[in-house]
Amino acid sequence: MKFKDFQDRFQRAILKGDDEILGHIPDGPRETKRNLLGVYRDAYVLRLIEVVGNDHEMLRSYLGDDAFKEMARAYIAGQPSHHPNARWFPRGVPEFLKVNEPFSRHPVLGELASLEKALNDAFDGADAPVVRMSDLAAIPPQDWGQLSFVPHPTTVLIEAHTNVAAIWTALKAEKEPPAVTTSKEPTRIVVWRYELMSMFREMTAEEAMMWEEAAKGARFDNLCELIAFYDNAAGAPPRAAGYLKGWLEAGLLSKVVSPA
Amino acid sequence: MSDPVRRKAQASKPAVAASAQIEDRPPFLGFGLGLRPQHYQDILDGNPDVDWFEVLSENYMVPGGRPLAMLDRIVEGYPCVMHGVSLSIASTAPIDEDYLDSLNTLAKRVHPKWISDHLCWTGVHGVNLHDLLPIPYTREALDHIVSRVHYVQERLGRRLCLENVSTYVQFDQSEMPEWEFISELTHRTGCWLLFDVNNVFVSAFNHGYDALDFLNGIPADRVIQFHLAGHSDMGNYVVDTHDHAVRGEVWDLYKAALRRFGPVSTMIERDDNIPPLADMLDELQQARALAAEVLEPKKIAAALAGSATIA
Repeated sequence: MKFKDFQDRFQRAILKGDDEILGHIPDGPRETKRNLLGVYRDAYVLRLIEVVGNDHEMLRSYLGDDAFKEMARAYIAGQPSHHPNARWFPRGVPEFLKVNEPFSRHPVLGELASLEKALNDAFDGADAPVVRMSDLAAIPPQDWGQLSFVPHPTTVLIEAHTNVAAIWTALKAEKEPPAVTTSKEPTRIVVWRYELMSMFREMTAEEAMMWEEAAKGARFDNLCELIAFYDNAAGAPPRAAGYLKGWLEAGLLSKVVSPA
Repeated sequence: MSDPVRRKAQASKPAVAASAQIEDRPPFLGFGLGLRPQHYQDILDGNPDVDWFEVLSENYMVPGGRPLAMLDRIVEGYPCVMHGVSLSIASTAPIDEDYLDSLNTLAKRVHPKWISDHLCWTGVHGVNLHDLLPIPYTREALDHIVSRVHYVQERLGRRLCLENVSTYVQFDQSEMPEWEFISELTHRTGCWLLFDVNNVFVSAFNHGYDALDFLNGIPADRVIQFHLAGHSDMGNYVVDTHDHAVRGEVWDLYKAALRRFGPVSTMIERDDNIPPLADMLDELQQARALAAEVLEPKKIAAALAGSATIA
């Protein structure tokens, strides 16, 4: 058997349970060849369950160990890893939970996995400077209208139709999670990294809309107009300034672009 | 169809010569630990008595954040080596060029004393099984791996260091014992060897050979690093789990390795049930004490001072 064919058969033995390779393996001195090959078969699944578990600790504690392992096994069976770094293997878990029965019948599972994935991605996402309030203080207020903003590269805005943030928070504190509630209107959650820690908080629909436009490069005066159009025009500039202040304090921005 | 990797490696003169130059040998680093995130803070706060760290390359092949921030600080204070699990040097699939680029990028950050991976394969057909898979010890496999080691050494601009893995099965096809295969590989490529003491113990137990045959069967002057780790005893076989302290039989084999190989950079690997750093330091102290018992302390001191000669 050529080396290439050997590797093909050995891999099939692990991924597909194919026994053909056993014809080329002698029994060990104390153990059968089937059980010895089983070490590789078991290790493959157990290792990947661990990899998925490391990225989804809250999902694991929400589902309980047995149900989590069953879910992870289904995920692993559906898609082998195609990346040399196991860090990226679980990235399809949220989508898997959203489209596959029985998990898809409980949208909170996919949303919990999405939130965890966003936190993981923020944890080791790209580095960038953080703009502070003090950096903005050097710019005269009359020039603020022309400013535009660059979000920190780790920020991501996700939408949820369940109370997933409250569930995550309870699980993290090792408390009983609240019952699932669902809403037609989504909750917006911004996830980012601040001083090496992954963070998240909810945004109102108005703030999220302003954030999304700001992330596209809209100037501050346009953002104020947007806010005015959304609700209570007279109070728009202070509301927009308040959101901006919050972003700066939280470390959500990595650059303020001034035309001057 | 010819293998493009082999063709490329043969077409150009190897940048890394197969013959070993003694002055080329990396330094003896003393007694180290595998760097694990659970210990970052204790390392940075406590300046523990660890001579060097082994960094798991894949853990730092990420865009940024805490892993790379911690790595930068630890690299400032300690000599480090890079240890990977995904090179898949023995695979018949094409070499992953992106992975080699990532290794080179990381090496610019870490300035490792050497870069190691395993004598194994991790998958074919674009799949990664994230395991260190066994090979039949055939001439065909050897020729294939030799060409890949030449190529990787050119791409990295340095000698590769390869570790023997724990294995649970053997193959009827094998034409030579593992130690002969490894000796031939290092002879033909000039690669260094990472002698994993626990892996030799595990494979010897599982296949029923004498670990000393392995130990005495590989060239002493190529071994630049030892791994120590714990395994799980399943009764009829043992599994390399890295979730226990180093077992007595492995300490005994370590002593034999010290006698044969002399002062070689030693480190302890722990990947599961990771205890507090203080416990790892106690275990490392055992390695130091055994080395002092087997080797004359002045020989260790001389090796640390950089005047090591190969016994």
